[in-house]
Amino acid sequence: MTPLDYMKAMAELWGRGGKDFAAAQQNFLAGMMKATGSGTPLGALPTDMFDTQGLAQANEALSKLWSSALEMSQTITRKMQSAEQQDPAVAELLSKIFDPRAWLSGTDGMDQALQRMAEGPRLADLWDTERKMLTLFNAWTALRRRSLEHNAVILEAWIRAAGRFAKDLNEKADRKEVLGSWRDVVTLWVETANTTLLETQRSEPYLNSQREVLKASTDLRLAQQEMAAFYSEIFGYPTREEMDDVHRTVTELRRELRAFQRANRGTKTGLRQQSRASQSRIQHDPDRGTSS
Amino acid sequence: MTANQIRSEQAISEAAALGEKIARGATLFSKLRDNDVAIATTPKDEVWHQDKVSLHHYRPLAEQKIATPVLIVYGLIGRYTMADLQEDRSLVRNLLKLGVDLYVVDWGNPSRADRWLTLDDYIDGYLADCVAAIRERHGIDKVNLLGICEGGVFTTCYAALHPETVKSMMLTITPIDFHGDTVENRLGHGFINVWTRSLAPEDIDRLIDAYGNLPGEFMGAVFSQMTPMRTLLKYNLDLLEVVDDDKKFLNFLRMEKWIADRPHHPGEAAKQWLKDLYQDNKLIEGTFTINGRKVDLGNITMPVLNVFAKDDHIIPPATSQALGAKVGTKDYKELPLPGGHVGVFVGGKSQALLGSGIVNWLAERS
Repeated sequence: MTPLDYMKAMAELWGRGGKDFAAAQQNFLAGMMKATGSGTPLGALPTDMFDTQGLAQANEALSKLWSSALEMSQTITRKMQSAEQQDPAVAELLSKIFDPRAWLSGTDGMDQALQRMAEGPRLADLWDTERKMLTLFNAWTALRRRSLEHNAVILEAWIRAAGRFAKDLNEKADRKEVLGSWRDVVTLWVETANTTLLETQRSEPYLNSQREVLKASTDLRLAQQEMAAFYSEIFGYPTREEMDDVHRTVTELRRELRAFQRANRGTKTGLRQQSRASQSRIQHDPDRGTSS
Repeated sequence: MTANQIRSEQAISEAAALGEKIARGATLFSKLRDNDVAIATTPKDEVWHQDKVSLHHYRPLAEQKIATPVLIVYGLIGRYTMADLQEDRSLVRNLLKLGVDLYVVDWGNPSRADRWLTLDDYIDGYLADCVAAIRERHGIDKVNLLGICEGGVFTTCYAALHPETVKSMMLTITPIDFHGDTVENRLGHGFINVWTRSLAPEDIDRLIDAYGNLPGEFMGAVFSQMTPMRTLLKYNLDLLEVVDDDKKFLNFLRMEKWIADRPHHPGEAAKQWLKDLYQDNKLIEGTFTINGRKVDLGNITMPVLNVFAKDDHIIPPATSQALGAKVGTKDYKELPLPGGHVGVFVGGKSQALLGSGIVNWLAERS
């Protein structure tokens, strides 16, 4: 491998966490269009029952922010290299480092964890129970909407961080300081970005949007469980609620057993102590003529 | 924006060095086996178990110098293996080498079936039974307790409820005042406190209703948020920093192994942890109850050693230090250590200070 190849590999490594984000967004939107359009199984259902308006608004807001962030990212990357020394490998690396997609895929671990958990059981084949399905679908739509809103908060933070970073660079340039290494650039970016993210995490918008993601994820999970319970009852399988009841009973029985064992142990210990004490009294009794 | 300069020749040179690093790392990685990244390897024997909980007795590594056994109590978030991460970064080994007779309680892997277990079960049930088992094995009335993080809260509650069975209590990185993060209000510190307070109690109830427990991966995501850029850089820049150094690379992998091993927190116990303690701060307020009994910190009359990390972003120092004003003993000592939450156990300087600090303190009270 040549040094340029290594630089490319490094750029790829950096971008690994964020590279699928845009594709996922596109797939998601394409899927939404397909699902709500005519000629599809979902299209046969009254589309006005779906809560897609909020989702569309959230997506539009994110798209606007996204354009601003990408523009800023490209400007920073472009300005980091002098015009006469354009190096495609370095440019590629810098573009990855300042790619806002990395934030959305790398810092919203909570969002991803919630979605992974919520999307556990796949219930795509349950088309017969429209009402329950609509609840489930709306819960799913709500989670996507809340996720987009949360991503918008993160993207706003990225734009703020990028602005601060650009300001710092300008000041360095004004002072004729040379950034000798891409690591210097990365260090400056990491420090700036970290501070901005930490500030954002304590802000009301961030905490509120994260809470909404959590609530939407929980609602989706509960809607899925309701569907699962419906079919479990039809086919005679125990429902989650019934299993929870059984576990509750077992836990309470174990609790009682532990208390009983403890009381029993206490009684035995008490008897042993009593026995030792009376043995000691006997040994010290002068009438019996023994002493230890 | 004014143009800034990055010299291409410098970048190319760095890239070449990076390439060599990656190549060396790839070679090292190809030779790795499971045993190379094994954690919690200090020999021990199971001496008691009940349900999913087990009590282990470590085999001695030196002549016993502290007469009364010490029981390590970790929490339900994460696993006790942090105290024995690797041979040269192990609180367990440090204590054993200094002559401590050591036990540890392992809470096992709670599943949805354990949803209904409460903190009462863990503190007044399993932990109480572990203490009883040690007392019986050694024919003694009291044991020494060493609580870590959430396990420190268990230890504190147990000591307040059953002081007659506790010779001394040592806490490490333990929250007592769950609103103590507001004392310093340091950026990046105490995010779990802030985040938990941003939720409504019913959010937590519904979360537990939906999942039956507090999923390990969920708490993992919350922890990752606390160090956002670190999380983003961990598997690229951070990994590249260590990838060609055998020792550092293995340390990195062992730590990752511990982080990945994050059990689910039983649901009802999680509700108490998040609502009663993080939100309502009942422990320091004196209103927290276990099996209907108030946990009165004033009942803690045995000697107390309270160890905290000066740069702990998860348990800010003030949340731990609040204990001092509440205990019913004058024999209360604090041991502030450099570093962060996990650094106390694995940081080069702190972990040595922690082991010797504990043993010296115990020896003075033997």
